[in-house]
Amino acid sequence: MAAYATTRHAQGNKERGTDYHTTLFRRLTWEGTVPLEVRVDAKELPANSNRGLECYYVQAPRVSYLPLLLPEVHKYLMDVVFDEAAATSLKEDDWWFETEEGTLLKWHWPIGLIYDNHTISASVRAAASQRALSQALPLRLILHLVSPPTEKLMLAPSPEACKQAFMGQLKEADFIRWGNTKRITGLRKAEQDGIWESIKEHNFEEYWRIASKVTPAASSAPPIGSPGNNSMHVRPPSIDAGGVPERDNAYAVRCIPARIYLPDGPFIQELVPPLLEDGSPHTLHHFLSVHLPLLFPSRPSPPTSSRVNQPTPELAYALVQGVLTPPEAEMAWLGACLAGADGWLNVCIGLNRG
Amino acid sequence: MTQPEEDSPGLKAIKALESYRKKDPSKIVVRFKAVGNAPIMKQNFYKINSVNRFQAVIQFLRKELGWHAGEPLFTYINLAFSPTPDDTVSNLYKMFATDGHLIVNYSTTAAWG
Repeated sequence: MAAYATTRHAQGNKERGTDYHTTLFRRLTWEGTVPLEVRVDAKELPANSNRGLECYYVQAPRVSYLPLLLPEVHKYLMDVVFDEAAATSLKEDDWWFETEEGTLLKWHWPIGLIYDNHTISASVRAAASQRALSQALPLRLILHLVSPPTEKLMLAPSPEACKQAFMGQLKEADFIRWGNTKRITGLRKAEQDGIWESIKEHNFEEYWRIASKVTPAASSAPPIGSPGNNSMHVRPPSIDAGGVPERDNAYAVRCIPARIYLPDGPFIQELVPPLLEDGSPHTLHHFLSVHLPLLFPSRPSPPTSSRVNQPTPELAYALVQGVLTPPEAEMAWLGACLAGADGWLNVCIGLNRG
Repeated sequence: MTQPEEDSPGLKAIKALESYRKKDPSKIVVRFKAVGNAPIMKQNFYKINSVNRFQAVIQFLRKELGWHAGEPLFTYINLAFSPTPDDTVSNLYKMFATDGHLIVNYSTTAAWG
């Protein structure tokens, strides 16, 4: 920890770009993948299909979306499973996914969020039966080829509809951070399109070249007293400036765009200021103990000291990007380093087994 | 022993979870505001159940305007962004309310991107 403390506040890279640790965790998030098994619903397999091969396995990026995965699934099925007659009659517009348990998968949810939601739903069943959570990997998806329940899916399965929803989420996140969407609307059209293209192409550098103009870095400690005034005369706070102005640090936003996902729904959105009234960083534990006190009771003393003689088992846990997240993690830091490509910090709540 | 014990942490957690799933019966005032050449509504304040999803708000608005399927209608919050259709009215109100209302702008053409 000592090493972190000294390097985290290193001065060298402050003015321009993003510090080493922010970039490191952003890359880990970006490179995170989940294993998926895509199986065509046996009842909908066209005649003359090559049965026994109707399964496609993929390690999909967490920050990607199902409509972006469809082309490769489609290609596999055309090449290996369907005959020509079936290939011409099937329309991708009619395709949709659900889990083995019958949960519809929404086109506009990041794949990592779909995976984590499945994990926490399974945790409830495990808690109810006091059985160990089965380590069944990958997440099994059923691909339907006909009759999409359009209303429940909310979105057409096209990449274009998904892109529109994604841009909406980027703007909503921007609005929550700063009270306006100037950072997104200030991007040139080519840059706005470039953000989506970089997700399609899974290009980390290209994504962050643009997104760093929008998403603040966690490079500095909370700006106590004067929020970044010392850098104002060095670099005007313009969104077109090459680097990230100091006032755009993750602890200077109004609120962090964050959602809590409960197993089998719903999700909860709350205002999450980066700092509490006393000026201390808003931690994950504080956030959860305020909004879900029955699952995350507040602790009498700071978490590190109380843990030693704390026999009470924790009822629930929090996953961010599939990672069991320590309660002392700071919300501003999580928002800067572990948010999805749409700028949102998704906290998924699972239950511990009895 | 197959049945979980009454006070097992697993069951305690499930009970806690259930309490957070309880539907909030409150209603929220949604104010619709036309943008550009979208038709203006005679009545533009409505009380809408807070558990409704934004998708239901869009459907309600389409019905009130007599919009047919396929006719374009774009909806925004605070003249700034389109929320995800599965977000609830309650969440949006908490985050973005203005003067005790949730303001929903609607337009026949895409505005603000």
